[in-house]
Amino acid sequence: MNVAVGILARALTMSTPLLYGSLSEVVAERSGMMVTAIEGIFLIGAWGGFVGTYLWGSALYGILLAMGLGMVIAAIYAFVTVTMRQHQVVTGTALNILVAGLCTYFQRVLFGIPTSPLKIDRLPQLPVPLLSEIPVLGEVFFNQNILTYIMYAIIPIIYFVLYRTSAGLAIRSTGENPVASDVAGINVNFVRYATVLFSGLMGGVAGAFYSIGFLGMFTAGIIGGRGWIAFAICFLGNWHPFGAVVGTLVFGLAESISIYMQSLGSAGFLPNEFFIALPYILTIVLTVSRRSFKVPAKLGIPYVKEGG
Amino acid sequence: MREEIKGNWSEIEIRNVSKYFARVVANKDVNFTIRKGEVLALLGENGAGKSTIMKILYGLYQADEGSILFDGKEERIANPKDAMKFGIGMIQQHFSLVYAHTVTENVILGAMRGVIPYAKAKEEVESLASRYGFDVDADALVGDLDVGVQQKVEIIKALFKQTTLLIMDEPTAVLTPQEADQLMEFVRQFVADGHAVVFITHKMKEVMEVADRIIVMRDGRISGDLRKEDTNEAELSRLMIGRDIVAPAKVDFEGSDHERSGLVVKNLSLAQGKVKLLDDISFHLRPGEVLGIAGVSGNGQEELCETICGIRAFDSGSVVLDGVDLSELSLRERIEQGVGYVPVDRHRDAMIGSMSLAENIYLKFSTDGDWNRRGLIDTNNLRQKTLESIEDFDIRAPGPDAPAGNLSGGNQQKLILSREMRLAKKLLILNQPTRGLDLGAINNIHSTVLKARAEGLPVLLISTELSEIFALSDRIAVMYKGRFMGIFSPRELNTEHIGLLMAGIVPDDMSHVAGEEIRAEVV
Repeated sequence: MNVAVGILARALTMSTPLLYGSLSEVVAERSGMMVTAIEGIFLIGAWGGFVGTYLWGSALYGILLAMGLGMVIAAIYAFVTVTMRQHQVVTGTALNILVAGLCTYFQRVLFGIPTSPLKIDRLPQLPVPLLSEIPVLGEVFFNQNILTYIMYAIIPIIYFVLYRTSAGLAIRSTGENPVASDVAGINVNFVRYATVLFSGLMGGVAGAFYSIGFLGMFTAGIIGGRGWIAFAICFLGNWHPFGAVVGTLVFGLAESISIYMQSLGSAGFLPNEFFIALPYILTIVLTVSRRSFKVPAKLGIPYVKEGG
Repeated sequence: MREEIKGNWSEIEIRNVSKYFARVVANKDVNFTIRKGEVLALLGENGAGKSTIMKILYGLYQADEGSILFDGKEERIANPKDAMKFGIGMIQQHFSLVYAHTVTENVILGAMRGVIPYAKAKEEVESLASRYGFDVDADALVGDLDVGVQQKVEIIKALFKQTTLLIMDEPTAVLTPQEADQLMEFVRQFVADGHAVVFITHKMKEVMEVADRIIVMRDGRISGDLRKEDTNEAELSRLMIGRDIVAPAKVDFEGSDHERSGLVVKNLSLAQGKVKLLDDISFHLRPGEVLGIAGVSGNGQEELCETICGIRAFDSGSVVLDGVDLSELSLRERIEQGVGYVPVDRHRDAMIGSMSLAENIYLKFSTDGDWNRRGLIDTNNLRQKTLESIEDFDIRAPGPDAPAGNLSGGNQQKLILSREMRLAKKLLILNQPTRGLDLGAINNIHSTVLKARAEGLPVLLISTELSEIFALSDRIAVMYKGRFMGIFSPRELNTEHIGLLMAGIVPDDMSHVAGEEIRAEVV
C-alpha cells in the first residue's frame, strides 16, 4: 500500500515538468508553431535553475533565470522560424545542439571541474494543511512541491484561455488558417511569437524542475530526451490540454515506476535497463499506435502574406 | 467586449492610387469614389487589378502611391484592423474561414476581446442570419457546410463587425444560379439599409443585374466609370477587353467512327467513410465528342477525373477505354495508353514552377524511349519539341529554358495543355481548364478543345462556368454530391434547369429526361 502511494505521488511529481512542457507545446502548436527547440529549452532551464539557485541561494532566482533563458532560446527560435521563415524542425534541432554545448561550456567556465558534483537544496515538499491528511489522496496530491501546486492551477487556466477567450480563438484560428486570422485583423506573427515565448517560459520552468525540484544538481544529460517526450505528449493528447494531462500522467507513472524499480537494485523481475527505457519505449509505442490525429492544419508552415 | 466602429462616413475616395509588384504594375493612377446607398461594380478581366485595389482599401496591401479619403479627410489603413474600424469588410474570393471551427467561432474571430460570451454571440449570429433570411446553423462546423452556405457565413462575419461597406470578390464564382440570385437580393437589401457594396466581377451579366455604378478596369487602370443606365454590355465589353474577341465556332456532333469505342464508364463508385464521393456514375463518351460536366465544385468532379486517370482507386464499377480495362493499369500505363489530363489546380498537380518549360513537358514523358537517348534525356530533341509547343500553342515565354513559374497563368495553362494534347492519343480530360484566365487565353484553350474534338478525341470537360459548358459540349451532365443528375443534350437545358440540377433538384418539367438517358445508353 505504502509502496503504491509512494509510486503515485512520485508519478505526479514526475508529471509536473512534462505537463509544463506539453501544455505550452499544445498552445504553441495550436497557433501553428512546433516548438522543436523544446529539448534545448528544458536543458537551458535546468542549467539556469541550478545556476540561479547556486549563485544567489534561492530557488526563486533559479526559476526566474530558467524562465528568462528559456524565453531567450524561444525568442531566437521564433525569430528564425517566424520572421525569417526557416524550417522549424531544422531550426529546433540546431538550437538543441547549441544549447547542449553552451550549458556544458558555461558550466565549466563558472565552476571549473569540481571533484564532487555541486549540490543545491531541492525544492521542499509543502504538505497542504488538512488536505494532506486525507488518506492516500492527501499523500498523492497534497504533499508536493510548489511547482506541482502551480501546475494544478495552470491546467484549467490554459483550457479556459484556449476555448473561452478571444485570445484563445485567435491562437486556434491561426494554426488552422492564418489567412482567416490575418483578414480578421489579427497579427499572425504576433500570435506566433507570443505562443513560442510562452513555451520558452514554461519550458524553462520545466527544465528547472529537474535540477531544483528533483536532482538537486546539474548534469549535461539531466533532461535526457524529456523535452521530446513533452513534445510527443502534445501529439498523443491530440493537441488538447486535457489530452496532454492524461498523457503526462501516463509518462509520469512510467518514470515513477522506473525510479522505484531502480531503487530495488537487481531485485526486479526485469533488468533495470528496461525500466530506465520504459518512458521512451512508451513514447514510440503510443506514437505509432495512435490512429487519428486532429493536427492543426497549418502546423509547421510559416505564414507568408501574399503581395503586401 | 466589442470594438468601436467609425462607419458613419458617406463616401470614400480613392485618389491616384498605384501599386507595383516587383516588375508588374498592378494598379496605376486609380481614382474613384464609393458612396453609401450604392452598389458599385468593379468589372474587369482576371489580372486587371480589381482585387488589388480593394485589398489596398482593406489594408491587406499597402499602396505605393496615392491616398484614401473618408469624406475628404485622408486616413491611413495599415492593416485590416484599421479598415474594420471604418466599417469596411471584405469577403475574399477564396474564403478565409477556419474549417475546423463552428460558424459562431468563425464569425466572432477578431471581433471581440477578452472572455467570449458564447451563448450571447451565438444568439447574435442567429439573429443576423434570420434578418437576411440565411439558413445557417450557428453550431455547425464550417468544414461540413456547402460552399454556398460558407459564403453566407462570410457575410454574417462581416455583418457582425457592423460593416457599412461590404466588398465581395467574385462572390458568384462558387454559387448555383439560384444561390447567385439570393445573393443579389441580399446585396440590394443591404444597400437599401443605407450601406455600400463593392462587387468585384468579370461577369457582364451580374454587373447589369446588380450594379448602380460600374468601374471598368483594364491592365491596372480605370478604363471606364459609368452609371448603369448610361451604358450597355457591348460598351462595357469593349472597355474591359480593349479589343474584339471572336469566340471559336463549333460544328454539331455528327456521330463518330466505329473503330474505337471511346470511354465507357459503368457504375463507378467511391466512398470515403460514409460520404459517397462518386455514386454509381455511368456514361459513354464517344470519340470526337465533348461531354461537359457542370456542377458546383467539390461535388465529385475531381474524384471522377482522378479515378479515370489512375491517381485514385475506385471502390466498384468499371472504366474501359477503347476496349482496354483501365482499372487494371497503373497510372504510368494509363498515361502510355494515351490519357491526357489537365487538373484543376496546375500549381498543385501539373507543373513545377521552378523548373523550365522543357523540363515540365519532359516530366510526363520520362519513360518514353523517344525522349531519351542511351538512358539520358535527349536534350536537343526535347528543346525541339518544346519549341514546337511554344509555336503551336502560342505560349508567350522567353524560351524553352525559362522557369515555368514566371509565365502568366494563361501561358502556364497553355504549356500544360500542350503537353497533355501530345499525350492524349485516346482521351483528354480537362478540369476547369480556363479557371482564372483572361479571355484571350480562354479562347485559345477553347479552340484547342474543339480541335481535339474534330480530330476524333473523346473529351471530358469539367467546368463551373455554364457559358463554357454550353459553348463546347455535345452533351451535358450535371454532377451533385458524386451523382450524375442526368445527361442531357444542350438543347433540352436552360440555365434555370441546370441551376436546379446543380443544387440536386430535378425540375418538374424534366423528370422524364433525367436518369432515363443514362441507362438507355450504357446498356
